[in-house]
Amino acid sequence: MIVDFLDVGVEPPSNPHVLGISFSIASRPLTGYRADGVGPPDLFMKPIRLRTQVPLYLRSPSRAHPHFLRSHPPTPFSLPQCRRYSAYAAQESASNPHPSFEDGQPIDRPRTRRWKDEELPSPLVQRSLSSPKLSALHARLSLPSRFPIQTLARALVTPSADPNPQFNNAALETLGSDLLGYYTSEYLLCHYPRIPIAILFAAQSAYVGSTALATIAKEWGVETAAHPGGEVDPGLLQHLKLASGEEVASPEEAWGNRRRTLSSRVLYDDQFGDLHKGVTTPFSNTNFKFPKDVPRETISNAEDHATGAEAEPVGIPVEDAYKSFVRALIGALYLHCGPIATKRFFQAHFLSRRLDVASLFQFRHPQRELAILCGREGFEAPVARLISETGRLSRHPVYVVGVYSGKDKLGEAAGASLMEARVRAAAAALKSWYLYSPLEVTLPSETEHAGEGFKWSPNMVDYGEVFV
Amino acid sequence: MGLQALSAMAKGQNGVGAFILQCKRIDFHYCDYWGSSKGMVSFLKHRLAHFAKEHPSIEINVSPKPNHHPVIKGTFINGRIRAICVKNLEPTQIYQKALILRNASGDKVKRWNKPVRSDNPSVRGIWSPFHGAKVSLLSGKGS
Repeated sequence: MIVDFLDVGVEPPSNPHVLGISFSIASRPLTGYRADGVGPPDLFMKPIRLRTQVPLYLRSPSRAHPHFLRSHPPTPFSLPQCRRYSAYAAQESASNPHPSFEDGQPIDRPRTRRWKDEELPSPLVQRSLSSPKLSALHARLSLPSRFPIQTLARALVTPSADPNPQFNNAALETLGSDLLGYYTSEYLLCHYPRIPIAILFAAQSAYVGSTALATIAKEWGVETAAHPGGEVDPGLLQHLKLASGEEVASPEEAWGNRRRTLSSRVLYDDQFGDLHKGVTTPFSNTNFKFPKDVPRETISNAEDHATGAEAEPVGIPVEDAYKSFVRALIGALYLHCGPIATKRFFQAHFLSRRLDVASLFQFRHPQRELAILCGREGFEAPVARLISETGRLSRHPVYVVGVYSGKDKLGEAAGASLMEARVRAAAAALKSWYLYSPLEVTLPSETEHAGEGFKWSPNMVDYGEVFV
Repeated sequence: MGLQALSAMAKGQNGVGAFILQCKRIDFHYCDYWGSSKGMVSFLKHRLAHFAKEHPSIEINVSPKPNHHPVIKGTFINGRIRAICVKNLEPTQIYQKALILRNASGDKVKRWNKPVRSDNPSVRGIWSPFHGAKVSLLSGKGS
């Protein structure tokens, strides 16, 4: 019997949950394939009835071996989320890793045994259905009903708890990280087309950086398990904690004392302008060379993949665990519910947070920078003029100074001295230039699900900031 | 380096965008033997399922606590716990107590003596019709 898109087996007879029970698997249509939830009719899973304890092998064309999976209630997704028996049974016989299979065909019933919960690295999938913490979290976040609770449980398992990529959230986290970066940066760049790159990095970090994501997860009421394992509640965030006194290797050390510039941050670093964690830099190892046409991201992911599955799990800070959960949730939401629901969720939980972008600026020579900017744009050179003052001879004088280019006032500020007011006025003028925001903005991601009446208006692209 | 950026974090405003109910868990403790738990046992039997259905975002735990008065404990997003003793109370009264926990933010009870709390406080205060210049509708000028 061959069924596409489904990879399923029968529980060994020792499990009381399926003894003598007949039920149908996946009689619901496969959802989560398209944004509108409408899949082609041939994507519907075929109902299967399991009546006896005789193993039923279903083959997926994309996989080399059929797997024994623990049976689970019907779930509308195709992610491999079921604890695989054979993977653990195979550890017992190192000489023949797959004794039961030959050329992808089952020749004998695999040697399996019943695994206790505490022997597994992460909770079983079916236990997520009976976790009040998970269903409460699902309801608290107002997730769509199409979003399966099993996926929510998987998003809570970090690679430090379960290194098996079939059961941890590493893949979902990668997708979610890219989506969060994409949505945030397009919002910032389209609404502030003149934003300087350093401020862009800082604003990006303020919305979806490590600390921000950890705070958001805590505000969602996510709790961490004391120690990961198969027996803990699936509604708890599972990660291996750092041992006492253990420190996380800083990526700055790998970089060495080489100077990091804004250009190097744009070229080499992640979406926040920070060094990638756990990545060998091109300079720290003389033998290491990046291939010319392979992007840096690919290399870092490959390294993670190579080391993640086999190596001993390494403890991570709790902030990283929270971060990986939020990212994995976004990735899973995108897969199951599509871009519209994901963007709505992003708007509700991330962009609705308050950030004063103007407070991120720190100028060193605002007057000089303003003069260069005026020269570049063909404005008259800026001149500072005193608008009003009070208490010049008192202990607390206040001067209000405006910076003018010809007859146009570019900025105005108050200060306790003439010099301070002049510098503040120049900074205010620069901020008002850099934080210009167009009235009509169409985000590029809106075109992904554009309706009939959608009208694309091009976004403004600026020359960029001036450098002093 | 002319322009540098300060690190900051966007501040959450619950209810702007998504709203997260701050009560995340309510524990119901009862005793099978003591008469003070009579109303509580009745509540657990007849009202709790309805209460749980009304509030899917609250995790509900029921556990016996022998030889003690019944108590309900709320755990909040900010990590605080608030306990209410419900000895000798009727199921309806216990329901009201559970609603108190649901509605609480988890913060300590504070006295707010300013009329407005704001991220962008007004420099000039709130406009009042009873103060300042009187406007005459006929002349359009302040008197």
